[in-house]
Amino acid sequence: MSPDIVLFAVVIVAATALFGWSCFRRFRLITLGRDEDRFDKIGERLKNTLVYAFGQRRVLRRPFGINHVVLYWSFLILFLANAEFVLHGLFPAYVSLSRLPTGLYYTLAFIFDLASLLALLAVLVALSRRLFLPPPHIEARSRDSFVILSLVAVLMIAFFGVHASEIAQGTEAAARFMPVSALVAAAFMSGAPLDSLVGAAGFFWWLHALVLLGFLNYLPYSKHLHILTAIPNCYFRRLDNVKTQSREEFTAGNTYGVERVEQFTWKDLFDSYSCTECGRCSDACPATFTGKPLDPRLVVHDIKANLLKNGSQIKNKTDRVLPLIGGGQVGSVSEEVIWECTTCGACVEECPVFIEQYPRIIDMRRHLVEMQARFPDDLSTLFENMEQRSNPWGMAPAERTKWTADMSIRPFEAGKTEYLFFIGCAGALSARSRETTRSIARILDAAGISWGILGRDELCCGDSVRRLGNEFVFDRMAEENIKLFTEKGITRMITQCPHCFSSFHDDYRQYGLELEVVHHTELISRLLKESRLKLNHTVDLGNVVFHDSCYLGRYHQIYEAPREIVASVTGRAPIEMERHHSRSFCCGGGGGHMWMEEHVGKLINVARIEQALEKDPATICVSCPYCMTMLEDGLKDKNADDKVRVLDVAEIVARAL
Amino acid sequence: MAEEKKIKKPHGVARLIQGKCIACGARCQMPCPKDAIEMNDQGEPVIILEKCSGCRKCLKVCPVDALEIYYTPQEEKILAEIAARTKAAAPAVEEIDKEAAETLARLKEYRGVWVFIEQTAGEPAQVSWELLGIGAELARTLGVELCSVVIGGGVENLCQESFSYGATRAYLIDDPIFHHYRTEPYYKAICHLVRKYKPEIVLMGATGLGRDLAGAVATELQTGLTADCTGLAIDDRRFLLQTRPAFGGNIMATILTESTRPQMSTVRPHVMPLPQRDVSRRGEIIRETVPGKEADFAVKVLEIIDTRKEGDVDVAAAEVIISGGRGMCAKENFDILQELADELDGVVGCSRGAVEAGWMPAERQVGQTGKTVRPKIYFACGISGAIQHLVGMQDSDVIVAINRDRQAPIFEVANYGIVGDVLQIIPALTNRIREMRTQRRG
Amino acid sequence: MLVVACIKQVPDTTQVKIDPDTGTLIREGVPFILNPFDVHALEESLRLKDKYGLRATVISMGPPNTEVTLRKALARGADQTVLLSDRAFGGADTLATSMVLASAIRRLSQAEEVALVICGQQTIDGDTAQVGPGIATRLGYAQLTLVDCIEYVDLPARKVKVRRKLRGRHEVIEAPLPALITVTREINRLRYPTVPMRLMAEEAAITLWDNQKMGLDEATIGLKGSATQVRRIFSPERARGEILGDGANEPEKAAQLLLGKLIEKDLLYL
Ligand SMILES: Cc1cc2nc3c(=O)[nH]c(=O)nc-3n(C[C@H](O)[C@H](O)[C@@H](O)COP(=O)(O)OP(=O)(O)OC[C@H]3O[C@@H](n4cnc5c(N)ncnc54)[C@H](O)[C@@H]3O)c2cc1C
Ligand code: SF4
Ligand code: SF4
Ligand code: SF4
Ligand code: SF4
Repeated sequence: MSPDIVLFAVVIVAATALFGWSCFRRFRLITLGRDEDRFDKIGERLKNTLVYAFGQRRVLRRPFGINHVVLYWSFLILFLANAEFVLHGLFPAYVSLSRLPTGLYYTLAFIFDLASLLALLAVLVALSRRLFLPPPHIEARSRDSFVILSLVAVLMIAFFGVHASEIAQGTEAAARFMPVSALVAAAFMSGAPLDSLVGAAGFFWWLHALVLLGFLNYLPYSKHLHILTAIPNCYFRRLDNVKTQSREEFTAGNTYGVERVEQFTWKDLFDSYSCTECGRCSDACPATFTGKPLDPRLVVHDIKANLLKNGSQIKNKTDRVLPLIGGGQVGSVSEEVIWECTTCGACVEECPVFIEQYPRIIDMRRHLVEMQARFPDDLSTLFENMEQRSNPWGMAPAERTKWTADMSIRPFEAGKTEYLFFIGCAGALSARSRETTRSIARILDAAGISWGILGRDELCCGDSVRRLGNEFVFDRMAEENIKLFTEKGITRMITQCPHCFSSFHDDYRQYGLELEVVHHTELISRLLKESRLKLNHTVDLGNVVFHDSCYLGRYHQIYEAPREIVASVTGRAPIEMERHHSRSFCCGGGGGHMWMEEHVGKLINVARIEQALEKDPATICVSCPYCMTMLEDGLKDKNADDKVRVLDVAEIVARAL
Repeated sequence: MAEEKKIKKPHGVARLIQGKCIACGARCQMPCPKDAIEMNDQGEPVIILEKCSGCRKCLKVCPVDALEIYYTPQEEKILAEIAARTKAAAPAVEEIDKEAAETLARLKEYRGVWVFIEQTAGEPAQVSWELLGIGAELARTLGVELCSVVIGGGVENLCQESFSYGATRAYLIDDPIFHHYRTEPYYKAICHLVRKYKPEIVLMGATGLGRDLAGAVATELQTGLTADCTGLAIDDRRFLLQTRPAFGGNIMATILTESTRPQMSTVRPHVMPLPQRDVSRRGEIIRETVPGKEADFAVKVLEIIDTRKEGDVDVAAAEVIISGGRGMCAKENFDILQELADELDGVVGCSRGAVEAGWMPAERQVGQTGKTVRPKIYFACGISGAIQHLVGMQDSDVIVAINRDRQAPIFEVANYGIVGDVLQIIPALTNRIREMRTQRRG
Repeated sequence: MLVVACIKQVPDTTQVKIDPDTGTLIREGVPFILNPFDVHALEESLRLKDKYGLRATVISMGPPNTEVTLRKALARGADQTVLLSDRAFGGADTLATSMVLASAIRRLSQAEEVALVICGQQTIDGDTAQVGPGIATRLGYAQLTLVDCIEYVDLPARKVKVRRKLRGRHEVIEAPLPALITVTREINRLRYPTVPMRLMAEEAAITLWDNQKMGLDEATIGLKGSATQVRRIFSPERARGEILGDGANEPEKAAQLLLGKLIEKDLLYL
């Protein structure tokens, strides 16, 4: 077989070189991105890689994920088999499984045989799913998918072909331990003349070799690039939850946000290479669900496509062929898409390979707002109100104490009061949410907590402007707040709104604010557990469904506290909607969408209400003033507001006092 | 050991009374002879005590009496002592300023109340007749004549109409160059009349045209002009007391024109009642001509487009808005609101709920993502009053809420509220207005 | 050639509330803002700059802290700003205000021809709409108030064509330059300042003209130059949340009560 070896050597060197070149071209582009430190905490990162890459923890969240796990592990195993295949092909005299101790040899042969079968089956399942039960996003049926799946199938078939013909020739010592190959041999090759068996072996061997090398070279150009990048992407993932954005430095000469693809960090670009196009993010996204042009998977894809299209131009510093923001074709994200995101975090939560989709959207919003001053009309008033009046509606500071009504106003006084009760704009200014605020105040009193408020001096936390990409205004607002908190000597804070909570908890940390911040649901549940708060009686609220706030749930993993409270008050755990906990569906109010009209598709709040109504509730329980508004509006749109009511967790507790 | 040395009278120092200053624009700072007043970032005065001589000039100019003179307890004691000593002495007679007396004499030359009769293409603006009503009252108090000023092309008939509403004399300038309103010829014509006949009061409607004209006339005559008056009265010195809202309607100010004449005011339409019309009344027409011909005026009116019939309703600019929300229950019920709107010369608006329900077009939506309005009267019918709606209408002069639910937050911002069914109350209101109108006419 | 926008810094009157107990204004925390009408005047001047290459100059008479507001104008794209500030300007009514502004514009025009002056329709604090006409009359410029559309400016021919918005009608007018225009809020949609422009504006120099520089007769400006005097200020009496009648059972009667109130308070005439 010496001419074969020479030929194979030539092929393999060429293929490897080509593969290497492709990879080099691809990965060199990654280095165009901005710096970002993801090299710390090696131990923790390795652990993550084990759990999420090798353990496929997130992939397994969906039932169909098991198919991927099978394929993934088969591949890991077959990686060895293929290494042996190649080396054996090159150095038949030196490298061969059969040179191993027989026990090991037989075991490996058995494992490889079985893994190939599993891989083949998994591929067939995947193929038929795509053909007969297609996942919602069309990309799952793309040519790319079919090419790759077919290549894998052929590879497995060739594997069996090689081994079956060897078994039929009687040259395979491990035949007994290769049940599948043996079965193929028995079924198709028994009694075949020796020379055709030799011919078949040669054919399948070359088929296997060529498909393997073909696959290798197809990888860098397909979504299966993720085979190379997913594992490192899990290693480099963000170690904490994605719940804030990085600060910008406002000095002359800087640019803000992302307009050109290389303004993303290298990790953001690496993310785009790692997308498996599994479509889980699209499936979770409330915007996609309600027919908006935004699909987080496509945003990731566009980033990758843009990088590939503009790569050489970026390197040579010549004009781009395709703008990142603009839309109209693959590789360019339209402005409409950028404004549709509610920053609900469902995409990030779902992604099996830890891609951070919506933070990239915010990066682009920053560019549009800060460099271009382009944004939907609805936001003009919001931005002005936030900047000049420090509240989204432009209400007067005097209105901030209106909720106290018959209660006496208790100003926060350092040393005397323990907690600052930060009311938040909605809690102070919206008539409906003032009810929640009053309930919380009653609860705090009942539990004997010492609290005070800032009253007219309270300012907006700035959450919405930050999510909308108006980092400059946020920055100024944050500085003002920090000044106020420092002056007043505030160290512990209770918030009524999850958005204030999240801002002070995480965004403000970047400004050096080290407050102990607690959301009212957490505090109440703690007070109940510690028996500092005692309920008088249970309250019958009919069927209660609980709706998770994105900023409490996905952002901060506060899922159980509100549910426990509902259970204590009603004596029953709340009913779960189909989408709950980490898979909960946004109310439609986050990311600045409280202040914008939805012009395309179905209203997100109505979609959520429909999901709630499926459970035939009498009460929908929420823990956020935005959810309160959005869901109440949704109920009205569905003409269900006479049968169902929306209550905040605090309100139901107040009823049990 | 009795000290016979004369005790020096302490002057005290000026001090700001907390919470009273309205940041009127540094009135107090200007007259201070000692430069003792600095304005802070809130626009309030900070008095530098070392510099203040207690002259009280700042106190006098502050329109809200936000400043007072402060004495230390010691100074108080001295004051009491002085007071005790001088008890017997006659109170000091306030010396009349010679300059002031001269001014007063000069002002006396001006007599009569004038009302400018506004017209477009010969059609008079109703506000002019309303002004004749209040003008007659002022003239009566002053004991002078009420005159109308009619300017235009072919508008002589308006002189007689002004007599029917109470004028006894009309100054008429009738010339084709006045056919369309243009600032320059009009203001020059009025200034010509004022300089010749010297009225003490000139009133105009606070319409687009009236405000345009009055500002130019007052500047040319270098006299005071008070905008958008809601109240006019005469004080004991024959001065016109002009009361008007300012600060976005948060305060009312009474304004005087003390040393120049005429005293000019504009008054918004529908603020003063319309006087009875009596066609039998007669008056004197004084015809005037002004030098000037068409070629002198470079401004040309090219086109006048009637926007009344176009049907595009401008909610943002309306003076009366009848808004409906989800509580209207059905699209047809908005007709009820339209009927009331027609009676009150208003327009129909709505909340977002009504838009979502498909009852009203989005252009009529008032609120956060709709229009921001500031009408004289805002009727919120079947609107709960969520903050998203409130932000669009809370600065209305008067808010009337009609809602079945007494707990609805709209009642918190409303000036007047009726708890009940809009579908009964609005028709009742419309009918009542119609009844009263027919009664009045009949 | 210049287009001059006149802008005023005003207390944000929408944020002022009346204390129900004392009847005084609650001004605590109420910010000073650029008069909402004047933002549109500024915007229009910037559009004229973009379209006709005029140099956009912004002037304002006010206390020294007006500087903050002028920087906002720079951030939006104005070429230069002049702050007219002096104790002697304080306490001015519209007559005295237009005196200072007109003199400033005259001064500007000595260095560079002024094509247009743009004012807001009115302010939200004084709310008189008299300053614009005052400036026009003093300078002898064509006066075009309540403009909601500038159709064109013909610089070589020194002409401008505008549309005025009046109740029930639009007027299309042609006027010679220089002209003074006061604009409605509908005339344009506002631009938003970009961050680089904001940062530039924070550092930019603001020209200050005090009366030493202007040299105006003190009898014509400020409190002394004002023809009107504010005699007294009081809070308007306004009913808060008065529930009329029993609307549920006697709708007719409630409606009648309401009508009575509206007539009594001079809100409605029949
Ligand atoms: C309670 C109260 C009531 C008053 N009533 C009267 C009154 O009836 N008559 C009267 O003559 N004065 C009155 N004044 C004074 C007057 O309000 C202002 O102080 C005067 O300086 C400006 O008038 P305005 O704000 O109404 O401007 P407007 O005439 O409404 O303003 C029109 C435009 O002129 C320009 N402009 C106005 N002021 C400035 C400025 N300082 N700098 C640059 N541009 C400017 C802007 O473009 C503005 O949009 C009153 C003051 C107070 C406190
Ligand atoms: S954050 Fe939510 S709305 Fe935004 S892209 Fe992700 S899933 Fe969609
Ligand atoms: S971004 Fe993540 S979740 Fe979305 S398609 Fe790609 S791999 Fe799947
Ligand atoms: S009392 Fe006279 S010196 Fe003192 S601050 Fe007032 S004006 Fe100035
Ligand atoms: S005059 Fe009165 S209202 Fe005006 S600034 Fe001075 S103290 Fe304030």
